[in-house]
Amino acid sequence: MHPDLSFDQAPPIDVPFRFFLTAPLFGIAAGLLLAIVGGEMFASRWMPSALAGTHLLVLGFMLQTMCGALLQFLPVAAGANVWRPRLVAGVVHPLLIVSAVLLVTAFLGQQPGFFMAAAHGLALALGFFAIVTGIALLRTPARGATVMALRLALVALVATVSLGIVLATGLARGSELPLLALTDLHAAWGLGGWALILLAGVSYYVVPMFQLTPAYPAWLARSFPFALIAVLLGWSLLFDPQVPTRQQVAFIGGVVLSGVFALATLRLQSRRRRKVRDATFLFFRTAMLALLAVIVSVLVITWLPALQGEPRGAVWIGLLAIVGVFVSAINGMLYKIVPFLNWLHLQNLCGMRMMPPTMHQMIPEKRMLGQFRLHLAALAFLLAAVFWPLLARLAGLLFAASCAWLGYNLLGAVGVYRDFKTRIRVAA
Amino acid sequence: MTAASPATRVIDGREMQPPEPLERTLEALDTLPRGEELRLLLYCHPLPLFNILRNHGYVWQEEIFEDGTHEIRIRHG
Repeated sequence: MHPDLSFDQAPPIDVPFRFFLTAPLFGIAAGLLLAIVGGEMFASRWMPSALAGTHLLVLGFMLQTMCGALLQFLPVAAGANVWRPRLVAGVVHPLLIVSAVLLVTAFLGQQPGFFMAAAHGLALALGFFAIVTGIALLRTPARGATVMALRLALVALVATVSLGIVLATGLARGSELPLLALTDLHAAWGLGGWALILLAGVSYYVVPMFQLTPAYPAWLARSFPFALIAVLLGWSLLFDPQVPTRQQVAFIGGVVLSGVFALATLRLQSRRRRKVRDATFLFFRTAMLALLAVIVSVLVITWLPALQGEPRGAVWIGLLAIVGVFVSAINGMLYKIVPFLNWLHLQNLCGMRMMPPTMHQMIPEKRMLGQFRLHLAALAFLLAAVFWPLLARLAGLLFAASCAWLGYNLLGAVGVYRDFKTRIRVAA
Repeated sequence: MTAASPATRVIDGREMQPPEPLERTLEALDTLPRGEELRLLLYCHPLPLFNILRNHGYVWQEEIFEDGTHEIRIRHG
């Protein structure tokens, strides 16, 4: 059964769209960075260029779309009205862009001042965002697995940003803190907490609704975010860089747990009521298969002593998680959310006098499928480049091209929206 | 809101991706004769549709069945 949606409190369409349209630009930048730096970028995750590329994707691509989607999703699906969404977007969106650029520049140029400036910018942007969305989520009368998942995701965002600020300050000023071990914790809260719990919470809504599947099992939907948070809290509370086994156990526990979500989603997809294999379905299936590949990779690296000291192992897992899981899932969701929002806003504007363009007219399916194939090719080349560095520049160009095509497709949808809005005005 | 009329057109939107059920319903309402009824089957409570119906003078009756199907019967007000 689909959940109910209410569009009475939906924010203006430019609120989510400004985030969505910015994200592909950061994806292009990440691809071009790899194309310029080449295979050296994948030698280790501690390479400055690798850290810069990672943050172009997690801050520039992932966080941008997630913040935009949350501002739209909270009032519509969770009944949580966000205070002055246009003002929030007007503050958070530019601050996120500037902070991401500063952080990436800091990594590439090893500039202490830039680390501090980025830390301040991110603290301001995400602190404000977390307070506003947190209040909305606390006040909503809605109950259920999605609302709880969104609340826990927000807690994880705060933990991620706090650790990130500690790390940035440590890099800027020099620090006695165990920065490498703290980086693992920061990444775990960011990817395994904020990103994965948010993805799960949103999936509880959009997978049954847009992919025509049965609902997620109630026990899974409720317990999965709590279980992930419990693992992350355990890792944090028992944090001791001198005892790496603890971190390893928590890491493997969290990764295996995420497999439950991946398998549940794949099972729902296999039981969908109408066998539509559109771009969103394919992107989502890719994301879930990549999540399973992350688990297999982690287990193989953990149990094969020859691979344990191999720095490229972490790069492989990072690429699978960030590009394979999250960029794929977000890309697929954008292809439903953007045309759907277009349609609803146009429908609201024209009432029953005119019929807005259909979803397929907003972004033609052929273009979305073409971009999906390019994304798959980019992912394959990125993974291959971990072991064959000569492929890295080509992989970077393919990924940049895929993100450019995504941006082009989204802009096309915005163009359709604008044209039809003009027609409504003329007709009135 | 009244009971079902003899002439009823049916849109089964349970296996359609949003917003297709809404699109088809609005198209069908455009040509719905007075006195006839449109029967819409969905797996959700379509709040956006209700807002449109209210604003354009339609009346409706909703019933929820055990399998989760929402049956919405719409006619001119």
